[in-house]
Amino acid sequence: MTELLVEQIINGIVAGSVYALVAAGMTMIFGVLRAINFAHGEYYMLGTFSAWYVITKLNVSYPVAIILAVIITMGIAAVIGRLVMQGLVTAPFQSGVLATLGLSLILQNLIIITFGGTYKIFPGGWLEPVFFGDISLAWQRIIIVLVTIGVFIALEFLVRRTRMGKAMRAVSQNTACCLVNGIDIERVVLGTFVLGGGLAALSGVLTGPINVTVYGGMGEAITLKTFAVIVMGGMGNVRGTLIAGWILGIAESFVAGFIGLQYRDAVGFVILIGMLMVRPTGFFSVQSRF
Amino acid sequence: MPSRFVSVAAVVFFMLSCFVVYPAMAQSDVVRIGIVSPNTGAAARYGAFAWRGAQLARDEINAAGGMNGKKVELFQGDSQCIPTEGVSSVQRMIAQDKVRFVIGDVCSSVTIAMQPVAENAGVLLVNAASSNPDITYKAGVGGYKWSFRNYPTDENRASVVLKYATEQKKIKKFAVLSVDSDYGRGAIALTKKYLGEFGAEIVSEDYYKDKEADFRPVLANIRRSGAGAIIMYGLADTTPIIGRQMVEAGLAGKVILIGSAEFNNPEAIKIAPTALNGAVEAAAYMPEWDTPKNHEFVAAYRKTYDGETPNVHAYAYWETLRLVAAAAKEAKSDNQDDIRKALSTMTYEGVMGKVTFDDHNQANLPMILFEIIDGKPVIKGTFNTQIKYSAR
Repeated sequence: MTELLVEQIINGIVAGSVYALVAAGMTMIFGVLRAINFAHGEYYMLGTFSAWYVITKLNVSYPVAIILAVIITMGIAAVIGRLVMQGLVTAPFQSGVLATLGLSLILQNLIIITFGGTYKIFPGGWLEPVFFGDISLAWQRIIIVLVTIGVFIALEFLVRRTRMGKAMRAVSQNTACCLVNGIDIERVVLGTFVLGGGLAALSGVLTGPINVTVYGGMGEAITLKTFAVIVMGGMGNVRGTLIAGWILGIAESFVAGFIGLQYRDAVGFVILIGMLMVRPTGFFSVQSRF
Repeated sequence: MPSRFVSVAAVVFFMLSCFVVYPAMAQSDVVRIGIVSPNTGAAARYGAFAWRGAQLARDEINAAGGMNGKKVELFQGDSQCIPTEGVSSVQRMIAQDKVRFVIGDVCSSVTIAMQPVAENAGVLLVNAASSNPDITYKAGVGGYKWSFRNYPTDENRASVVLKYATEQKKIKKFAVLSVDSDYGRGAIALTKKYLGEFGAEIVSEDYYKDKEADFRPVLANIRRSGAGAIIMYGLADTTPIIGRQMVEAGLAGKVILIGSAEFNNPEAIKIAPTALNGAVEAAAYMPEWDTPKNHEFVAAYRKTYDGETPNVHAYAYWETLRLVAAAAKEAKSDNQDDIRKALSTMTYEGVMGKVTFDDHNQANLPMILFEIIDGKPVIKGTFNTQIKYSAR
């Protein structure tokens, strides 16, 4: 029984790491724009698709594909950021909802038109299992967790120590003061958006080998799950996002393992509703940041 | 404001285009047939095959002179395997494309939702690939006069699969991992009816959402449950995911898959050979089926689609469109009411054998039981799917 418990916790941490990587970008974009990016899961999809494309069509190896996928997705995010997201800086929040929902539909359907609606098998990855007693785990899962922890340490450094990070925090606190102090808000928004897109892509390309399939609508489900993660972590709170991602992953894994797989997707929504009722500021701060 | 001008102009243009385009499509020298299948979403693989099968049948029918001299024109609807999407695409086809025949859907839940729509519109709905028994319990003398099904139902499949697993494979403990839909849950409900008869036992029961990709928590449970097989009435696109995660979790080679989820899909076998070895499936069709008519179909399909081998959905849509054309010939009419009457009395020579419809508008078709041995499907027998309706 204890072994099963440990195995389910490990499964949860792996799943939660994937959510956390996607949610990190989402929460940072919310911080600077105060807009929920409904298209965020699409960058997860674009990352996985880019990797699938360069591996199957250009015969690139998986490690190189990871780098290329992140760069391609960041490039797409830069274009969209320039054309759409920067325009949202002064717009009311409803515009953000409409614009990002529209982007989500456009990106999904562009992929479906270009590559067809069928599932593609994702090649590559490090799938040899490692054994811990009776529990076996593909290397890929261990790498996902390690990369996630590494990324969050780097993000923490970025947000606390670098000029860019300080600017991001400033924009999330008071845009008027940023203008007075000569902080280019549009540039900060663009930078945050591109970084967030890159993180989502990284998450997608790392998950590809264990989720096996790639298809146009794959980003939708993960967008919905990240809502619960960013609310739990405290909107705009990068550190809280990792812990919140793990909490959601473990909770889902317990529900899937001990109650039934069919209830798994309900977990995120139950947590989301519960958090909004009891503690809308998230687990990690007493005050709302905005 | 220029931006306001642009948006107003766009709206006006869009509204005008509605008036301009549709009346131009109303011609009567063609027979308009709607093809509903999931072209995007979790069952998109089925839809892609179905659409290619239907197009091949259309080209063959038109090359042979059409339906009573009229060309067949197909209209495509994407159900996404979601009932509301299926209903809205059928409504669109009926209202805008003026179709009088609909072939679809693959997903049972969608077909069940489309039945009353076709009934109210007096449009002939011929299902080609859904297997939930309810579809024909409600059709013919059961209620819906306009619903037919040219595909075997799950009624007997569950017992045949369970019988093979308990008697030939000597497995008594089973775990359930099926798709959370009318198809997946319906097939498991039927399986449960026969557990006692074969001395079988279900040790765990899970249903997956169609976009689920993480099966590790459930597989961890199954590994400890002592189950010898996983009963899976699932989606073909999910089979490779489960197969690969079974390999990773150390279940491959210890626990086999039984049921129906295209275990003979070469891609799935390639990606998880050890997990799919020994898998047992009851299927409506397989390309290896050894009859001259099937060899002809497979050869024509491969020639048209760059050597691709057809799957069950390509066969089902191809066959069903040809069945409708044959019924039109029989009726000497392209009126949907005449064709409906012809369907219930005619005998059609199909790829799987002779097809006749019972009083519930259900086709009598055989099913094939196969096992994956060394990466190849091997036919282990066929069985009849005729229903005794009084059983309910």
